[in-house]
Amino acid sequence: MSLLTHNLTAKTSQQTTQSMASKPSGPSRPLIRVSDFDFFYGEKQALFDINMEMRENEVTAFIGPSGCGKSTLLRCINRMNDLVEVARIGRGKIEVNDADIYDPRVDTIELRKRVGMVFQKSNPFPKSIYENVIYGLRIQGINKKSVLDETVERCLKGAALWEEVRDRLDTSGMSLSGGQQQRLCIARALAVEPDILLMDEPCSALDPVATAKVEELIHSLKDHYTIVIVTHNMQQAARVSDKTAFFYLGKLIEMGKTDEIFMSPKNEQTEAYISGRFG
Amino acid sequence: MTEEGENNRYDLHSRRRQFLGIDKDQALKGLFGGNAIVSIVVLALITFFLFKEGAAFFGQYRENIDLYRRSGIEYVDIMKEQSESYSELNRYLNSIRSEHATMLREEGLSFADARAKLSGYEDFIYAIEDLGYPVSEYVLEMSEVAVGARDMYEDAANYREHRENLLELGRDEEAAEVEVLDVDLSLFVDMIKEGEADFLALNDALEAGLRERIADLPTIGVESLDAKMQRFGELALMFIVEMERTEQLLSDWTSEKRVGMFTALASFVFGEDWVTNSSIQDWYGIMPLFTGSLLVASIAMVFAVPLGVGAAIYVNQFANQKEQTLIKPYIEFISAIPSVVIGFFGIAVFGQFVREVSGWAILSGFDFFPISERLTAFTAGCLLALMAIPTIFTLAEDAINNVPKSFKEASLAMGATRLQTTLRIIVPTSLSGIISAILLGFGRVIGETMVVLLCAGNRIEIPDFTNGIGTFFEPVHTMTGIIAQELGEVVNGSIHYRALFMVGMVLFVISLFINYMAQKIVLKYQVSRG
Repeated sequence: MSLLTHNLTAKTSQQTTQSMASKPSGPSRPLIRVSDFDFFYGEKQALFDINMEMRENEVTAFIGPSGCGKSTLLRCINRMNDLVEVARIGRGKIEVNDADIYDPRVDTIELRKRVGMVFQKSNPFPKSIYENVIYGLRIQGINKKSVLDETVERCLKGAALWEEVRDRLDTSGMSLSGGQQQRLCIARALAVEPDILLMDEPCSALDPVATAKVEELIHSLKDHYTIVIVTHNMQQAARVSDKTAFFYLGKLIEMGKTDEIFMSPKNEQTEAYISGRFG
Repeated sequence: MTEEGENNRYDLHSRRRQFLGIDKDQALKGLFGGNAIVSIVVLALITFFLFKEGAAFFGQYRENIDLYRRSGIEYVDIMKEQSESYSELNRYLNSIRSEHATMLREEGLSFADARAKLSGYEDFIYAIEDLGYPVSEYVLEMSEVAVGARDMYEDAANYREHRENLLELGRDEEAAEVEVLDVDLSLFVDMIKEGEADFLALNDALEAGLRERIADLPTIGVESLDAKMQRFGELALMFIVEMERTEQLLSDWTSEKRVGMFTALASFVFGEDWVTNSSIQDWYGIMPLFTGSLLVASIAMVFAVPLGVGAAIYVNQFANQKEQTLIKPYIEFISAIPSVVIGFFGIAVFGQFVREVSGWAILSGFDFFPISERLTAFTAGCLLALMAIPTIFTLAEDAINNVPKSFKEASLAMGATRLQTTLRIIVPTSLSGIISAILLGFGRVIGETMVVLLCAGNRIEIPDFTNGIGTFFEPVHTMTGIIAQELGEVVNGSIHYRALFMVGMVLFVISLFINYMAQKIVLKYQVSRG
């Protein structure tokens, strides 16, 4: 635990300085590394021997047909799969900033503060917009009004929602429209200052206008966060991501720069999927 | 395909088999609809029946109280109250003596020596007792007159009714044989009122005697007892004041003023006495039963709410699959235990256990322990809690389960612990459901009959709330208990019978209100799942 905290803390300060400065040129270092990863639900194997890296300040898109394991892998990165009783790891490991997150000494609470998540269905709490954003601070015992106010403004601005809701922070988060709710959830995730944002089909329930706004937001978040996004929408993957990983039947088939995957996929299955011949 | 086949194919008339012009779908629909209607009709009949039987109560009760006044029993009761106060005064005095006697025995004095010590002021006690006799004997005499008059009047009314019934049936000869006395109650009342001067004279004598005696209170020689003796002097003076008030009430009293409907209503709703089959006057005040029910139900809720809700939260949020499959059916199984079995357990085991525990040395700090009663509001309340737990648990668990899973996920993904998630998200979100579960549990408890009938002690008296927690260990009677206990023995259509129906109505209204509130709360605060 202390090891991870140390690593993660070092990383946080490093990234803060980094994000303050202009974006470094050249390939950034890998922040998430998955190696030889096997994963099971009970007897059923969901992931087979996954090896991949996700680099700092990049957007990585997971694509693939339903049930191919892309959401499963996403949920392994912040250990949300721990909630499933029968879930277990067969082999391999996932490292975040060089710390094995499945080390028994790791506290999932600490991990999840650094690896935030946005879900498929927007799920604001039945509380005010204000309380929704600062929920992460409240549970850490931060109740200082000035800090909270500052966080709400910063995160709502970060999620491109500030202008729309600044006059009605006291109204329920559930009174917002679908797209606004999803951006509120992103703002909420930003409040705990994570390094990584995991997005599980964040736009699947949104109309095209709201989708465009969220995509725009993802673009702007890239400067400060490492983002992993699961999507069914190939155009979306092409629009928002730097890297794309194609999954099929629990295996990572191909991963590479988004342009390359979409223009000249090396694997036949990838090509078939992208061109819409199955999926 | 032939032309005929083609035609059949486009014959779009219904081919379903019909019986009496109804096909199977319609018949099934009718069956289910009929079931719903039957339930509604039954409920309506019950409501109607309750109202019909109960509604006549107030008229009858008003007449009954009116007769109580016209026959002068009310007048006599004013005097009687004063005699009872005097008896109370005597009891206080006697308690001083018995305390002294205990003290002397503990000192190891022989019987003769103790008697010698007590005899010093025993004369005083006897004298005080004797002072009261003339008044109480007079009151008793007057009571006999008034009650006798009332009974004669009622008998006459019964005979008159009997005769009228016979006449109606055309049995005129038999009717002529029925003798009906004309009872003029005012004659008796006048007789009683004429004695007022006598009563006042007796009262004056009592007052003079009492004043004389307390001017010279005996000293016992034990400090605490002497203080009590002084206190007796004060009480006696208070009694003298009460005597004056009684005299005032008597002179103000008149049999002319008729009893209104409101008095009957107030006497039922706020009445502190439930006295039935009395030779003097019956009273149907719901207060002792209502407070008893409320006390028992409150005790039950004190235990059932934390246990039921806590178990629901644990099972839904913290328990693993194995624990869930074990705990849930187990708790729900409790509601399968027949209430009479629980009551039996209460009498045979639990009541005894509570009494024994109350005698433990570590609990001697509480001045209401040890308790002498085995069957108390506490015993019944604990067992009722057992019956409310499955209701509260099941409904609260449902409410918690209805909280969208995504809320829990979102909270956990923010780095919240399970406990934080439960307390900050799950419970607030499901609070309306939990509250309605609690309300319905309360409704279950207040309507429960068998357990309270067996275990609550069945003493018809408003619990003495000045005892603090000790109140919980008093025997009480309840609204449900009294109906179950007395309805089997009452005369159909009598005032007592109707009083029980009114109690039933009060119960019905309470349950209705609780259920209504529970539904309203759920609807009002339901989280939109949009």
